[in-house]
Amino acid sequence: MIQALPPPPPAIEAPAPERSVATTDQVRVAAAMTDARVMVDSSFRGASIVLYGAVFNPTARPADVVVVVRGPDGPVRLVKKTRNMGVWLNSRPVLFEGAPGFYMTASTRPLGDIADFGQLRRLGVGVDHLRIAAPEESRTVTRYGVRDVVVSRLGEDYLDYRRAVIRLREAAALYNSDPKGVQFVDKGLFRAEVDLPAVAPTGQYFAEVWLFQDGEPVSVSNLTLTVEKVGIERDIFEFAQRRPWSYGVLCVLLAMFTGWAASRIFRRN
Amino acid sequence: MDIYLPIAEVSVNWPLLVLLGATVGFVSGLFGIGGGFLMAPILIFLGIPPSVAVASQASHVVASSTSGVINYTSRKLVDYKIGAIMALGGVVGALLGVELFRYLRLLGQADLAVALSYLLFLGAVGALMLYESLGQILRRVRGEVAPHKERRRPLWLYGLPLRMRFPRSGLYISVIPPIGLGVFVGMMSAIMGVGGGFILVPAMLYVLRMRAQVVVGTSLFQIIITTAMTTVLQAGRNQTVDIVLSTILLLGGVVGAQYGARLSGRFRAEELRALLAIIVLLVGIYMGLELFVRPSDLFSFAPGIAE
Repeated sequence: MIQALPPPPPAIEAPAPERSVATTDQVRVAAAMTDARVMVDSSFRGASIVLYGAVFNPTARPADVVVVVRGPDGPVRLVKKTRNMGVWLNSRPVLFEGAPGFYMTASTRPLGDIADFGQLRRLGVGVDHLRIAAPEESRTVTRYGVRDVVVSRLGEDYLDYRRAVIRLREAAALYNSDPKGVQFVDKGLFRAEVDLPAVAPTGQYFAEVWLFQDGEPVSVSNLTLTVEKVGIERDIFEFAQRRPWSYGVLCVLLAMFTGWAASRIFRRN
Repeated sequence: MDIYLPIAEVSVNWPLLVLLGATVGFVSGLFGIGGGFLMAPILIFLGIPPSVAVASQASHVVASSTSGVINYTSRKLVDYKIGAIMALGGVVGALLGVELFRYLRLLGQADLAVALSYLLFLGAVGALMLYESLGQILRRVRGEVAPHKERRRPLWLYGLPLRMRFPRSGLYISVIPPIGLGVFVGMMSAIMGVGGGFILVPAMLYVLRMRAQVVVGTSLFQIIITTAMTTVLQAGRNQTVDIVLSTILLLGGVVGAQYGARLSGRFRAEELRALLAIIVLLVGIYMGLELFVRPSDLFSFAPGIAE
């Protein structure tokens, strides 16, 4: 039995240094994106957005920039294929929560060099520090006299499952970490690219731009990004969701009409 | 040349889809079948989520079958009476099948059901058809006379109550076997996304023993009703019908079907059947292979979220 790691607090709750007043003697970061809205229409093949910003660093110590972009969370169901009597069958699905639909990090150096494990986990920065868990599988027990020990029904497979969520998303280009993704174009000016694949979920995305100095977060800038369906795509999607029965009837009528029209056109020839 | 499909939520190359529709349409016109068994595996191979592929291409089957029925009606080769009775069963089967498929998706076993049904049904039908048509071709080559066919009708079919006359099919039988056949094909239609012509036609010929001339037209008529029902149910219950995808497939499909139908006159029936049998068998084996080959990744996401 693997004990689930105690859940770290979400990144949002991390105490962000107050930077309401611009001061010249403090280290801080400011950032913006080329697009705050990504429109998914019939020609959508993914999008590439440039996030750019500036670092004010009057001190002599070097600072590292880490860009984190996360898409809307959604539960996922994972199955594992196992071999039974020579046939590969799916296990029962395991529900995982807390997996963002899109997640990327870009940084000036590998994350492990910028801050230590505990710090990254506390801030929820990095694919390994996402709060992906299977709450339906876990229960608390008392073991060796210790109360409230969280164990998972998946036992030793738990970490394999959790890693598979990340691996599958990485394969679909939905999760991404680029240790050299933040590039300084000039002194104090940096840029990073956010690549959204065509399968990126629609919804609200949150971007955090962290500034680390000596392994400590010293400043953060928060941005939002909206990915939404527009035009005919949106109309079709909403029609299919809101009036599914009429939508189905329409599909059938369209098909019958096409079949009828084809037989008429080709008979004349 | 890519187009984003709003329900499937993937972007695909649309000329490729038109070509796919035309090819499957050509095959369906050539052999007088819906072609769904061929379309669904190719769509899945192209990266369309299986549930969307199965549901969306059902409307492609509706279109090609509509063309076919109009064609056969003008030659008076559709028995609407027995077709309507089978369609009644088909509607019930589609209702059961969509609910079953929904339940299997929640269990994460939809892939297994699809792979197994393809392997079993396509494998069995393909093998039988290949055996029968090769035998016929061999006999023709050797110049032998076909053995006398056993025309006695099975007793278990004819002892059933609720008998009805179907003059166009040359039948006077109970309505229970056609309804049962309809239910079975309706369920398959929902799970495999096929019209079910490859099961219906042999069953109507060899089990119900209908007149051979009306079999294809009547099966197409039954298939329209069943797949139309499946499409509406899939859209209503699962929201998995992508109208953009099905329209692109339709456009290629109806054109391909016409050319296929014209070409079919040039071949002998048993040669066509042998060719179809090989295609059916190959698709069945291809779809069943995933049960036996070690997957590249043991883990995968299961579609559908429990409510």
